[in-house]
Amino acid sequence: MPSRPLMKTLLVPTLAAMLSLAPGHAPAVSSWAGDLTPVTAAEWNAARAAHLLERAGFGGTPEEVQALAALGPAGAVRRMVYFEGAPEASLPAFDESGVFDEALDDFPASRPATTDLARSQGEAIGVRVKPAGNRRMQPVVNKFFYWLRASRLETHRLGYWWANRMLVTPRPLEEKMALFWHGHFATSEEKVRDYRKMLGQLQFLQAQGLGDFRTLLIGVAQDPAMLAFLDAAVNVKGAPNENFAREIMELFSMGVGNYTEHDIREAARAFTGWNFEGTRFRVDDDRHDDGVKTLLGRAGPFDGVGVIDVILEQPVTADFIAGKLYRYFVREDLDPALQRRLGALLRDNGYRIAPFMETLLSSRDFHAPESVATRIKSPVELAVSTYRKLGLAEVPGVPDFNDATGALGQKLLYPPTVAGWAQGRSWVTPGLLLERGNFALDVLFPDISYIPEDRYPVSYTGAEIRAVHERVRAGQDITTATKPLDKYGGGNMMSMSNMNVDRDEDFNTRFASYRGWQMAIERVKPIPRTLARLDLTGMVRSAGCRTADDAVRYLEGRFLTVALDEPTRRELADFLIRELGTGDLEAAESFAEDGLRLLLHLIMSRPEYQLG
Amino acid sequence: MKSRQYQRRQLLKASLASLGAAAFSPVPVPGVFSRVAHAAADAAANDRILVVLELSGGNDGLNTVVPYGDDAYYRLRPSVGIPEKKLLKLDDRFGLNPGMAGFERLWKDGQLAIVHGVGYDNPSFSHFTSMAYWHTAAPNSGDDYGWFGRVADAMSPRAQPNFLINVDTAQSLAVKSRVHTPVVFDDPDKFMRNAFLQEQQVLELGPAAVQEANPTRRFLDDVARSAREASELVRQAWARFPAKIDYGINPLGLNKVAACIAAGFPTRLYYTAYRNNAFDTHVQQNDLHQRLLTYTADAVLGFMRDLERLGVADRVALMVFSEFGRRVPENTSLGTDHGTANVMFFAGHQVAGGHHGVPPSLTDLDGTDNLVHTSDFRRAYATAIDGWLGLGAAESVLKGRYQPFPVFG
Repeated sequence: MPSRPLMKTLLVPTLAAMLSLAPGHAPAVSSWAGDLTPVTAAEWNAARAAHLLERAGFGGTPEEVQALAALGPAGAVRRMVYFEGAPEASLPAFDESGVFDEALDDFPASRPATTDLARSQGEAIGVRVKPAGNRRMQPVVNKFFYWLRASRLETHRLGYWWANRMLVTPRPLEEKMALFWHGHFATSEEKVRDYRKMLGQLQFLQAQGLGDFRTLLIGVAQDPAMLAFLDAAVNVKGAPNENFAREIMELFSMGVGNYTEHDIREAARAFTGWNFEGTRFRVDDDRHDDGVKTLLGRAGPFDGVGVIDVILEQPVTADFIAGKLYRYFVREDLDPALQRRLGALLRDNGYRIAPFMETLLSSRDFHAPESVATRIKSPVELAVSTYRKLGLAEVPGVPDFNDATGALGQKLLYPPTVAGWAQGRSWVTPGLLLERGNFALDVLFPDISYIPEDRYPVSYTGAEIRAVHERVRAGQDITTATKPLDKYGGGNMMSMSNMNVDRDEDFNTRFASYRGWQMAIERVKPIPRTLARLDLTGMVRSAGCRTADDAVRYLEGRFLTVALDEPTRRELADFLIRELGTGDLEAAESFAEDGLRLLLHLIMSRPEYQLG
Repeated sequence: MKSRQYQRRQLLKASLASLGAAAFSPVPVPGVFSRVAHAAADAAANDRILVVLELSGGNDGLNTVVPYGDDAYYRLRPSVGIPEKKLLKLDDRFGLNPGMAGFERLWKDGQLAIVHGVGYDNPSFSHFTSMAYWHTAAPNSGDDYGWFGRVADAMSPRAQPNFLINVDTAQSLAVKSRVHTPVVFDDPDKFMRNAFLQEQQVLELGPAAVQEANPTRRFLDDVARSAREASELVRQAWARFPAKIDYGINPLGLNKVAACIAAGFPTRLYYTAYRNNAFDTHVQQNDLHQRLLTYTADAVLGFMRDLERLGVADRVALMVFSEFGRRVPENTSLGTDHGTANVMFFAGHQVAGGHHGVPPSLTDLDGTDNLVHTSDFRRAYATAIDGWLGLGAAESVLKGRYQPFPVFG
């Protein structure tokens, strides 16, 4: 078990030197591109280990890179893919707030549907209609909005739970595969409106992400979150709804153009009756069309599983999935011939993901200059890898993880559509590039103006809710208190002569929105707003840095995946010297922290920081 | 249903063509874009600018362009319906919401086109989902890129700086482009990096002079330069722009668009919005909705006047839309709930003012008491792409053939 503490201080210059010597200035197509044979021990080094850790995980500290490098090329990949030698991930289960009750299980599709149900049954979602008085359905509608808010806030906590796992797990590929599959089998709580289903789907992806694709596809097709998201319940015998079948074929398995409309219609028939009850999959046999279907050249009384098997028989399916994995983990540019080879590889492995990933991540193609440091980190990867490289043990509460990554275009558990997130260069626009640098500043110099939105509603209806809150407490009647705000001046709120008359109505939506919020935050556990406790001085000093130049090289090696050029290093070092009034870190030790943080912000603001 | 299958086939064909396209090569992308390259060159020569104004939240079209001549309107909206005498009458069938003096002016000048009954099959009642469909022009499906971004790609298969501008705090899906980096900003004074004063010098540093082999690194350097340059340009354009025209209480970013045009930006495509689901009028609708429409109409009229002042009014057209209309019958809170088909507007000097499209029936509603659309919204997009910009690229951008309305002749 080689451990090399003495190597630490020499590690950084070596890494940086290796990075700049890495065949990144080679001609158009390198000799390693397209070569799936594994990299040999002679070709293995710390830079390659860093690249592996970056792609199969979320990057790591120099110590973690060194430990991975010491395993050799085959051992390192087996460690990442099969967790050989990795400690048990004794990570805490999701700590539920306890916002759910059984009556919410069959949640109506909309507020009008809820109030219609209440009108006809005398109750809905576990709340009875009041027998007398004004706004007899108010409690029902309050609970409706309570659940929307509570499920959303709990899903934000779920995002935090997942981000924390990404940060500390000794098995990062497990979480990275879940992230990949989450973008592939995209499901958003926005529509699902049930954090329990999102948790169930996430746990399934974490458990099966490196398993076999058949289990994954069937599991997702029977997953309550997915069934809710794609309106599977309306797909019934005699009235098949194509949406579910279409997305399974177009987005999840075969890719557009590899089936006909007829195939989709037949597949839809096979999925009829597939439904869910709460968090469990259920088949309504009387709604299932058990007749013979013909699709993709096969005929039979297929049910959903049968159709999935037919889909898996198609060569194009393995090609599609293999291609998607390659583009995510290696690089965007994939020529059709290589894609077919990868598809064959996946097929020959019985659609098992782990051996496929082992080949991919061991290959010379993976380590070719075309593949190394050419990938733009998604917002979640950027945030998690930043925290990992800072050596944090928990995801900070400020900046809020979901707000930060959401502002950069990716919020966990809320993909914009069923097509997931467009990857690669889509992550970066001029404004977003500036925003990524602003995220770094928020980590290093926290925003003291930050107000947590799980205690102080801000977005969307936030201002309205707060206005209702103030007015109701001031003793106004509900009609007056819920008059819409006029944000742009010219408030005409007292102009109506019936202003002070409390309207006779079944319920007031705006009041319900307010009360629902209040009920939700009473139940949902707060996200702890801890800040990253950083000690960059200790970090660079214990790495043996003595001068400003050392600090620049060390931070460059630790945080970037490419090398800067000498003039840039010079500028950065001169910056630090100006800040500290000296280039001697030892002399400046007691006051170097601010300067080092500014220096790190400058490094993290470089366009190169987006590369992984 | 049949037309939807046709559209799906078109989508498959277009997607197949684009599958082979190298995503990020600096040379013009083959397949889909090559056959519109000539048209794009022509379009570039004509210098026309398209501005899109999005009204988020589901604007109530029936209380915007009121079909007062139809009894069903008052029958279904006894409280929320707007009395005839309050309306700004356009003719003997329709009248504008009382707040829209700005639009009435444009209508009288023949510069406002109203497109009726616009929507799509299997409509979604979710703000988020329906807006995503409008942004990608892929209803009940999805696309990696926005329709506006795809227009930019068709107009210029080579990346050009500052080609697309999105006035907003975050980039809209609508402008997401394969080739172009949209300039996204809200407050021009704040379109900048947060940094301490002493960091500025180092932040201004560009990339190494050395030829960079890593193509992604080159891309990032380009975006970084664009960020530095665009933010500087935008701040300067804004600082130099005289606030001579009254845009009303809420200019909705249109004054910023005018500032960029005045500064001579090469930008051909602008996207802005009335944000945060402002039009989601579930409760006590009338006063609020009238206010929202007043601000909107004032902003649009101000924009038109500013374009005239700048002498560019013939080159600019504005399209206004919302992600859905609202339910025909009012609800019990003096408001309306999410609906389906809606009106859209085109405004500008070159617009053929008047009614376009077919107003939907107020009595032949769907199963949820909602309007049945009479035209797919992609016809309006095709109107902008081919009718106004003259690209001849609507079919490939929209992945299907949609007949433009005769708004631009």
